Amino acid sequence: MDKISQSVVKKDHAPKIEGRSVYVGDYVTARDGRPILTGKLLHAKVARARVLSVQVPELPAGYFYVDAKDVPGDNNVNIVLDDTPVYCRETVEYIGEPIGMVVGPDEKEVQRILSGIKVNYEELEPILDLRAAEEAFFDYEFGHGDVEQAFREADKVYEEEFETGYQDQTYLETQGMMAEPEADGRMFVHGSSQCAYYIHGAVMRVLGCGPTGVHVLQDVTGGGFGGKEAFPSILGAQVAVAACKAKAPVRCVFDRREDLEYTSKRHPSLCRYKMAVKDGRVIAVDCDVIFNAGAYSTLSAVVLQRGIIAAPGVYNIPNVHVRGRAVKTNTTPCGAYRGFGGPQTFFAMERMMDHVAQDLGVDEIAFKEAHLVKQGDMTSTQGRYHFPVPLQAMIDEVDAKCQLKRKHEEYKKRQTGRFRRGIGMSAYFHGAGFTGSGERDLIKAVAKLRKYADGTVEILASNGDIGQGVRTTFPKIVANELNLPLDKVYYDHPDTARVPDSGPTVASRSLMVVGELLRRAAIKLRTVWVEGQEQEVEERFQEPDFMIPFYLDKFQGDAYPTYAWGVDAIEVEVDTFTGVTRVLNAVGNFDVGTPIDYNIVVGQMEGGFLQGIGYASIEKMDYDAKGRIRNNSFSDYLIPTTKDVPNLTAMLHVEKYPYGPYGAKGAGELPLVGATAAYVAAVEQALGAGKHPLRHAPFTAEDTVKELTKEGN
Amino acid sequence: MDAIKFILNGGEVAYEGAATDRLLDVLRDCFGCKSVKCGCKEGECGACSVLIDGRLINSCCVAMGAVEGASVLTLEGYRETERFAALSKAFSELSAVQCGFCIPGMVLAAESVLAKNPHPSEAEIREGLSGNLCRCTGYNAIVNAVNNAAKEANGLW
Amino acid sequence: MVNGFVPKTLQEALELRATRDLVPYAGGTDLMVENRENVSYLFLGKLPELRQITVDGEYVRIGAAVTFTEALASDLVPPLMKEAVSRIAAPAIRNAGTFGGNLGNGSAKADSVLIEFVADAKLRLVSVRGERLVDVDKFYLGRKKLDLASDELIAEVLLPKRGLENYYYEKVGGRNALAISRVSFAGVFAEQDGKITNIAAAFGAVADTVLRWKEVEQMLIGKTLAEARALKADYLKAYEAHMTLTRGRVSAEYRKAVCMNLLGEFLAKFGI
Repeated sequence: MDKISQSVVKKDHAPKIEGRSVYVGDYVTARDGRPILTGKLLHAKVARARVLSVQVPELPAGYFYVDAKDVPGDNNVNIVLDDTPVYCRETVEYIGEPIGMVVGPDEKEVQRILSGIKVNYEELEPILDLRAAEEAFFDYEFGHGDVEQAFREADKVYEEEFETGYQDQTYLETQGMMAEPEADGRMFVHGSSQCAYYIHGAVMRVLGCGPTGVHVLQDVTGGGFGGKEAFPSILGAQVAVAACKAKAPVRCVFDRREDLEYTSKRHPSLCRYKMAVKDGRVIAVDCDVIFNAGAYSTLSAVVLQRGIIAAPGVYNIPNVHVRGRAVKTNTTPCGAYRGFGGPQTFFAMERMMDHVAQDLGVDEIAFKEAHLVKQGDMTSTQGRYHFPVPLQAMIDEVDAKCQLKRKHEEYKKRQTGRFRRGIGMSAYFHGAGFTGSGERDLIKAVAKLRKYADGTVEILASNGDIGQGVRTTFPKIVANELNLPLDKVYYDHPDTARVPDSGPTVASRSLMVVGELLRRAAIKLRTVWVEGQEQEVEERFQEPDFMIPFYLDKFQGDAYPTYAWGVDAIEVEVDTFTGVTRVLNAVGNFDVGTPIDYNIVVGQMEGGFLQGIGYASIEKMDYDAKGRIRNNSFSDYLIPTTKDVPNLTAMLHVEKYPYGPYGAKGAGELPLVGATAAYVAAVEQALGAGKHPLRHAPFTAEDTVKELTKEGN
Repeated sequence: MDAIKFILNGGEVAYEGAATDRLLDVLRDCFGCKSVKCGCKEGECGACSVLIDGRLINSCCVAMGAVEGASVLTLEGYRETERFAALSKAFSELSAVQCGFCIPGMVLAAESVLAKNPHPSEAEIREGLSGNLCRCTGYNAIVNAVNNAAKEANGLW
Repeated sequence: MVNGFVPKTLQEALELRATRDLVPYAGGTDLMVENRENVSYLFLGKLPELRQITVDGEYVRIGAAVTFTEALASDLVPPLMKEAVSRIAAPAIRNAGTFGGNLGNGSAKADSVLIEFVADAKLRLVSVRGERLVDVDKFYLGRKKLDLASDELIAEVLLPKRGLENYYYEKVGGRNALAISRVSFAGVFAEQDGKITNIAAAFGAVADTVLRWKEVEQMLIGKTLAEARALKADYLKAYEAHMTLTRGRVSAEYRKAVCMNLLGEFLAKFGI
């Protein structure tokens, strides 16, 4: 193991395990000692309506009602587009849309006022189902080769439809933001979040002030997983407006019900795939991908881009056509969640490959192996896989670990008992860093190191530790280059008043992109180091020179500099009487390059993998006929407990990336991406592959019984 | 009107509010025990776990009247103990703490497991922690940390 | 104490219950989730009279304020009840939740109540007026409706001492812990001199109350195993006909399919 990979005690271990870390809900007063007012949102109760009037009861002294009329600047939250309002416009577009906020000193009184508010709606017909959607926020199309020709020449053409459901990030700490008007006129916004500068930009626009009129601090954050990428910009803008009006600090922390119903989650998807086979090889694939964006576009553009770029999977297919749409419905806006569009399309592609192999009478795993991309091959966007693709070796390692192939053969035999077994495999990637030219053109990351006279070094960057450990791994990199003990280098939660914009904490980019900037900055500091002096160095992002420029209008070029690779094998036992499925074995093999800290990386892989298995199996979320999210409590939206997947193993395969720090590449999202495909393949095998083609996830106990009832078993 | 008297982290305290108030809220808002986290308010996540008379309890599911005369231990008290130090060390060695939000409850659940059974099997640890949700770790590191703490405990439990 | 009373004796509790509008509070695990406004609680959790597990000639008597954890640690509680109770939620809930609370909450998903149904348990209800014994299936009048007068408290569950040895139990939850039952099934079987003397089957979490059809059970009572096997198809058909289930977190069709599967497994286990 490389020295840099050796695990250390995490920098935030002690305050967190001692319960001393201050999350946004834990502040007793504002920073200047003033009391904090509680804000509670007034959420729309119908999915689509014109808001005719809002009747607010008479407010006691010290209480406020805040809505769009109180926004000093622009009532639009800047995300990718600007269509998300801070507080609703004339209409509400989904159940839960914020109409206004009640603010005041006593939470119970705020709640009482809130329940006394009458909203008069003129109801309009909502569109809930993505199949019925009329408007696409985004509609992309790309491809290469001659798909039509290939379909004409094919021996056989297959068509299938795949669906995936919502997944909620279910960070243990709900969304919460706080805004404090400061004596110097600045608005200080802080809370549970991933992207301090996104919030900074959003609040500036909403308050109509310049960049120095606002500063944003990331508080200790109880999990994000993408759920705190864009949503805190909305909530941050809402509390900032409220604090402006009340001229006092305002905090809004969601309760679990609000969080489950009204915050962004993984896009439900419908993927229609068409595949052409000639001489036993896939010669063309045509992917039609539809994501349910919900009522506003938020991050759907970029989620969809990542999803469709991954649509043809990890296979070398000469003719590819992809169309992707993110459609508007009157449901909760969806957004970022670990994997960012990839889990949906990899599910479709992996399942499609399984089903085509079954029809051809060849082994699914062998069929996939025969099509794996290799170094130098073309990507779906006519870029290149510039670096070695270790998938075959990774499959072999998984096979050695859990007898994947032997079991896969064995479970093909007809099973008739109550308990039946299956094993499924998936192969997948996660493009490391922002899609396309985002790093170069949009983010332009800057990171700094400040050395103090006493020889300690502070990292100045804007990436938030949300549990993934950047408060530890960043200092490890810097300490390593400076030959300093780790306690001499530190990284605090970022405050935009004092750190440069090194970009958001998203896209598995922090370690690979910003970590590398910090490594280079540390080398720079080392060369200019003067004992006893305060010094500062800065590094800026440079695109690696091997990249084929990416053009978003054509979806052409290198969408990513490199890829993290994954292979999962999941073995299950299905109780055909109850449908309950036990995971006997879950083995994930993950190549995220050099682990900057072994324990931290393994922890990320295990955690992400389990989230993926949850997504595949028990995490069902749906809305009712009126468009309300039905699974709005922890007894209705189930995530795995300690007892659900006790046999989960994360393996690391290391294929170093020369442009990442010490060979590291994007890590955080990868482990979630492939679990759904492997799990559903395993259940399918247990029920009898070929007989029961399974095409949706999550695949629940109820689905299993329904499938078996069909057959009359 | 009599106040509700109970022991909090070893000291006698009194609560003047309603017997129907939630222990979770009272611990956080009146007694400053901010280690006690609110994850769901329905007993389904364990983030607000405390020990009441030595038993692991979700403080969101306890009305104040029920703690009259009881002894309540939160992480603010437990972190002063040797047992805590042993658990903290074991957790640190496996980087079992990620976002940290479930951790105060998880540590008290671990204490509850080991107090009852100083040499638990992995399955017993998983059972003992099964009411404490963690979304970050996938649980392996936490379960292994509790196991390691038990092995190295030297009679602490 | 504001909005609450902590009586020291059962007599004191009954007097309070008779004279004031109080919500009985045992473990709190259901009540606190309901989060009722403007109520006062009568805290019963520490009443010694409700905290005993005892046994007499006929019954194991479990006090209403006995927690699930305590029952699991007791040698007196039959294995069937222990198995069901061990599947409730997670340790912290089992440390607080009580038998009385499980009954009083009135839910058909209550895991201990399923066992009380299949076991023909009785409940001892007490008030200042006196006490009465009621069969558990009579106690449940409908969804969240109980045969419990406004001055009464549940004092004890009386679980028959004998006859629960041969059982089949299955709980289907959404996951392996912290799972509310989606379907639960308990069956109890007994035979004497080659003839079936008891073949009770109860279904939980599938309708407004736990379901049990004694008239269908009668089809097989007094029969030999061979006779029962011959009647099996009719018997299952009778269950099919009775089983009108409701949808909840899962569909009614799923619930019914699982119930029938488990019923079949129960029969198979005992040679029918």
